[in-house]
Amino acid sequence: MSLSINDVTKRYRIRARKSVVNALNGITLSVEKGRTLGIVGESGCGKSTLARLIVGLEPPTEGSLLWSGSPLGQGVKNTIRSRHSKTQLVFQDPYSSLNPRQTIGACIAEVLKTHKLRSDAEITARVIELLGVVGIAADMQTRFPHQLSGGQRQRVAIARALAAEPELLVLDEPVSALDVSVRADVMNLLVDLKNKFNLTYIFISHDLSMVRHISDEIAVMYLGRIVEYGTWEEVLNNPKHPYTKALIESIPEHTNVRGIDFENVLEGEVPDPANLPQGCAFHLRCPLTVESCKLKVPELLNASKSHLVACPEVLK
Amino acid sequence: MSNLLEIRDLSVVISEDKRVLVNDVSFDIKPGEAVGVVGESGSGKTLSALSILGLLARGLKIESGEIRFKGGDLLKSSTEDLRNIRGKEIAMIYQDPMTALNPVMKIGEQLLEVLDSHQHQITDKKAHILNGLAAVGIADPNRAFDSYPHEFSGGMRQRVMIAMSLLLSPELLIADEPTTALDVTIQRQILALVARERKRRKMSMLWITHDLGVVANLVDRVIVMYAGRVVETGTVDEIFKAPKHPYTAGLLASLPAAGRDRERLESIPGVPPKPWQVLNTCAFAPRCKEARDICSSHRPELTSNNSSSVACFFPLGAKQ
Repeated sequence: MSLSINDVTKRYRIRARKSVVNALNGITLSVEKGRTLGIVGESGCGKSTLARLIVGLEPPTEGSLLWSGSPLGQGVKNTIRSRHSKTQLVFQDPYSSLNPRQTIGACIAEVLKTHKLRSDAEITARVIELLGVVGIAADMQTRFPHQLSGGQRQRVAIARALAAEPELLVLDEPVSALDVSVRADVMNLLVDLKNKFNLTYIFISHDLSMVRHISDEIAVMYLGRIVEYGTWEEVLNNPKHPYTKALIESIPEHTNVRGIDFENVLEGEVPDPANLPQGCAFHLRCPLTVESCKLKVPELLNASKSHLVACPEVLK
Repeated sequence: MSNLLEIRDLSVVISEDKRVLVNDVSFDIKPGEAVGVVGESGSGKTLSALSILGLLARGLKIESGEIRFKGGDLLKSSTEDLRNIRGKEIAMIYQDPMTALNPVMKIGEQLLEVLDSHQHQITDKKAHILNGLAAVGIADPNRAFDSYPHEFSGGMRQRVMIAMSLLLSPELLIADEPTTALDVTIQRQILALVARERKRRKMSMLWITHDLGVVANLVDRVIVMYAGRVVETGTVDEIFKAPKHPYTAGLLASLPAAGRDRERLESIPGVPPKPWQVLNTCAFAPRCKEARDICSSHRPELTSNNSSSVACFFPLGAKQ
């Protein structure tokens, strides 16, 4: 079983501006069962759009997404729902992803009822079991989200995702909204759950240190395209693409006091996704730009067997 | 060298029920020094900063303490005096430039307003503003002058905020998480800009953040806050290389970093308490690996030793 994303494109039409945003452009990726794929990139790179496509919240404009061979996000509504119990999403902000007027027990029970996973008699026991799995005491099930801390809410959101008995969990910035001292706890929980339930993860974040911690493979995205892909060691310890390099150099590390280089800063801004430059989307900011970069979108090519880079200049 | 800013025993409470949010906070900033205040949400770091400028929200009040700026107590200053200091001698940049800038007013007008509200020697105000915008890396200052905030990206808006805060060459710049909402490559541009301007102007800085990585790269000295109190202070090297408070050490150990074990992060169990829930004990004791009986019955005072101080009965690295 695996996830395969084949040449997926997602376009949004913006009526007011009479323009089209290419949120995703020819994305091809595969994730083997039991692995964790980390997706990094800055705002507007399309990483959250990809998350929404994988769990079927939206269909792709072109291309296909398959989980164990069956298509995701296409077909009639009810089959989408049943199929999508296999791919679940955990959102960034547990303050807005939980219904404030629903107890956390009811919120998890709803999933069990929707997907008809348990009989009415078994639901309470299953809710308690799921809360236990994420480290929330059974007597908390009658509480409302506002009575919980941020870390506890995110645990509930994870339990809700697990209630559907998924095989693939898409985690979209799952710890970014949490206090620093509780992030480690939630990250450890995610690692435990993956081993316990034999899950496959897509871990999306702008925080490279978290992605480095949890990922087997990493894809770096820039403006709707993958610019680099490889094992976590290849991408982070031997980055090839100039954008990946700039991203890594931009992380202020607490283990490296006064280590960040403020002299050689990547200048320029991320272009507007609705108004992309011709050629490589990174060429306006790139230190290696040559004429050909302005003309043609670079293909993802092999730097080594498992390491792909969309920059002909570094592969020369 | 005398201090530019001295905060002594500052306490902030909710006026209605006297619940404490900031508790006996004291620290100094020297001329030209960059100080980072690190803490999680609810630790009191932002309220301490807002207190300096007299900008606490309605419903909150300063219960006790002194805030001395260049010798004078800001808490005893008249509204008029405070208004003259704010924006001119002490300036502030905020986390979200979209809410800090007026959305229906052109950038140029907003910057002119700063100059018009204060006394200064600047004769050609527009030229001064255009220079200021150019200095923070805005490519077309003339166009920016006539634009509205929504016409800019987040990074550019934060540059406008910085240009505004530097217009009157303040002696102290207070920054409250100004890069949290930005992408990392843009964050690096903004940090580089601030570091450069600070050096050039020999300005003091108070940088408030929960991001330890930013602090490690930007400031000279660090103040760590937990549940409304200062728990540790030290130079950036002391704090990051030899933390003394178990909370500081735990926080640093909990962050993933290059070369660290990828399997397991050192986690701190539990959640931070609300400042008012902590009575005469160490606020961190319930989550602390080093805690003993005394930690839940007495409160450790902040004790200084040369350049550092720590509020812990059993500081790390001390002789037992």
